[in-house]
Amino acid sequence: MEPEQFQEIFGRLESEIRKVIVGHDEVIRKVLIAFFAGGHILLEGVPGLGKTLLVKSLSHALGMSFKRIQFTPDLMPSDIVGTEVLTETNGRREFQFKPGPIFAHVVLADEINRATPKTQSAVLEAMEEKQVTVFGESHMLDSPFMVLATQNPIELEGTYPLPEAQLDRFFFKLLVLPPSPDQLRDILKRTTGAEPTECLRVLPDDGGKLVNEMNRLLRQVMIAPPIEDYVVRLVHATQTSGEPGGAGNGSVRQFIRYGASPRGAQAVILGAKGNALVEGRVHVSYEDIEKVIVAALRHRIILNFQAEAENVTADQIIAEIMKQVRRN
Amino acid sequence: MSSLRSEERTRAENLVSGLSARLNAHTLWDALMIIVPWLLAFLGTIFLLVRSSWLSPTAALVAAATALGLVALAIAFYYRSRKAELAESAGMLDRRAAGAREHFLTLTTIDRKNCPQTLLSRLQRDTERLSSQIELKRDFPYTIKNTTYGSAAAALAVVWLLYFLLPPAGALTAPSPARLRELAEQMAQAPELKALAEQLNSLAAKLENTALPEKERLSALQQAAQKVADQQKAQNEQQERDLLSRAAGELKQTEQQLSAGGQEQQNSQSQGGGNLQSNLPEEGKGGANQSQGSGGDGQTKMSAQTNKDMPQGKPSQQNPNEPGQGSAKDQTAQRQGPDKGDQPDPNRAEKNSDKEKTDPSRAGPREGSGKSQGADEPPQMTPPQERFYRAGEGKEELKGARYVTVQLPEEIVADAKGESKSTRAGTGGRARTQVPVSNVPLPPHVPNAPAEKQQLPVEYRGIIR
Repeated sequence: MEPEQFQEIFGRLESEIRKVIVGHDEVIRKVLIAFFAGGHILLEGVPGLGKTLLVKSLSHALGMSFKRIQFTPDLMPSDIVGTEVLTETNGRREFQFKPGPIFAHVVLADEINRATPKTQSAVLEAMEEKQVTVFGESHMLDSPFMVLATQNPIELEGTYPLPEAQLDRFFFKLLVLPPSPDQLRDILKRTTGAEPTECLRVLPDDGGKLVNEMNRLLRQVMIAPPIEDYVVRLVHATQTSGEPGGAGNGSVRQFIRYGASPRGAQAVILGAKGNALVEGRVHVSYEDIEKVIVAALRHRIILNFQAEAENVTADQIIAEIMKQVRRN
Repeated sequence: MSSLRSEERTRAENLVSGLSARLNAHTLWDALMIIVPWLLAFLGTIFLLVRSSWLSPTAALVAAATALGLVALAIAFYYRSRKAELAESAGMLDRRAAGAREHFLTLTTIDRKNCPQTLLSRLQRDTERLSSQIELKRDFPYTIKNTTYGSAAAALAVVWLLYFLLPPAGALTAPSPARLRELAEQMAQAPELKALAEQLNSLAAKLENTALPEKERLSALQQAAQKVADQQKAQNEQQERDLLSRAAGELKQTEQQLSAGGQEQQNSQSQGGGNLQSNLPEEGKGGANQSQGSGGDGQTKMSAQTNKDMPQGKPSQQNPNEPGQGSAKDQTAQRQGPDKGDQPDPNRAEKNSDKEKTDPSRAGPREGSGKSQGADEPPQMTPPQERFYRAGEGKEELKGARYVTVQLPEEIVADAKGESKSTRAGTGGRARTQVPVSNVPLPPHVPNAPAEKQQLPVEYRGIIR
């Protein structure tokens, strides 16, 4: 696949989703980048901002299978991954695997923090290994596979915050912010009219194959060693002094409990590569890094009590680190 | 197509490497322009020092060679520390070319073996398009940095300072014989002063000969000075008179140095390394500065060696801060001593007896009769116990103490009438006045009376009550 073809498909997908979703341009772009990079997305925002609609529109534009799982406290892991059921065929009874809703190209895990950790962890294997194991038998998931989880930041009663291990498996964490007055006006015009707008399918029937090719091209994008070194220094700067090689200075270090993992650095570079391709380049620039680093690291930096007490967010810490770490 | 691609790659790479070489040349120029002024300043200083005979030519050569070596090292260090890397040059090109986003940097630093050819050729094409905007000479000209200007100015200032400061310093510190020889050389050019020049040369030789006694050197110097003075009177030519006056000045200065050196030597010999303090008066050096009047209790430390006033014949001044010295009152008394009575005060003597016991050397002068003690009269060292009567002798005062009886005018009148209020007590005949006793009656005591707020004057009490 040529870079131009990637750019064209990406552009068409973006424009189709924008037909339905008003605003959230950066969110849409990052969701698509994560999709082509083979990552999963955690969307955070208050109810009614179009998180679910975004995911539905994405799956529609991609023309791929889409499943939605509404996470509740009584949801069981078998409800997600599937289970063995006793069936009778030709007078013979046998257990047959009944796949759960995780078996789809695009899975929406709505309000993922409402399920118990046991159920949440059932999604872990699926996200990372792209397979599930039921009664000792592994079942491969469809490819491409993407989980888009949503969580509500305000209704925290009766919720189970995602453990760090699970958070780390999300490629980007994107914040869905309320629309501006103009955007809200546009939303109302589109959704309360006689015919609500719908997005068209962009990818052909063998879309999965095309997506895999795009993923391969994205990984081939070139990155200069000095820029790679810049990413390494940025990620290292998030680590506290207790960790070997911790480079963050005092103003940042005092708020961090745990820094970003190597998976965070991978997400930064892959995201930057995706961004470079979208902008028509075949190599990563410093700007690409700076555009994706916040989304890639904000959920991987675990803040301490002092940061919570002083209302310091991970975004602020990343911004401070970017000020401190110089480009080569 | 492939040859075109390789050509394009070479052109883009050439731009980066060309810029790198250019930046390195700039760095070298910077190093030379910053460091070389200081080298020149140093060489100029060496030249000045050699010319002023402060440095031998060999030492100057060694210093110059060392300086050259150090400068070479400094330039190498500067160049190495600031040498432009390829990535740095590529970054500069990226910043200069409009629309470039790390194109040059990626092309320069990427590992080509692991890159897909299609993407690499695309990058090369993009970079080539951007590189057409850049012209190295136009976009990266050499500009002289402010540091260079500062360095050159500072080096120049140092050379100027040395140029102006070295000759006076040389004149001040150059040895006199050398200056005399220099003058003799100049004098020898005038036929009338040739003889004088020869004498100056021989004088210089004598001055350098430390084996000669000092007196001999001094007399030779004085003789030469006399001759120069005579010649000065006889000379009419302005230039030669100038020379002679310079020679006269030089000789005078040398004479002063010589005599000062001799005096210094004498002083150091006389001091013998110690700082002995003595209040023995020195002959001809302020010997009359110790007044031994009634208040002069002789506690002032008067050192003939340490007091600078003494050689000039000034009266010595007591240092009130010095421990063990008399109080301000004592000083006043000392100053008033010669004017007001020469009688020693026995009470004061008693007060100071303890101090005197600890420092018997200071007791001597007080034993005097109260006259101003002569410079040639050493202080009498009488033991304190001999100055008092022994127990049982019935006397309490000092031996030989004398008193003055002072009569008030009214006592004289009372004596005349035969009703003296004063009585004489003791064998010393000292006048002791009787203290008048007041017999004013106390007011009657009233138990419940309110306390008086204010005491009324006696004369008003009867009127108010």
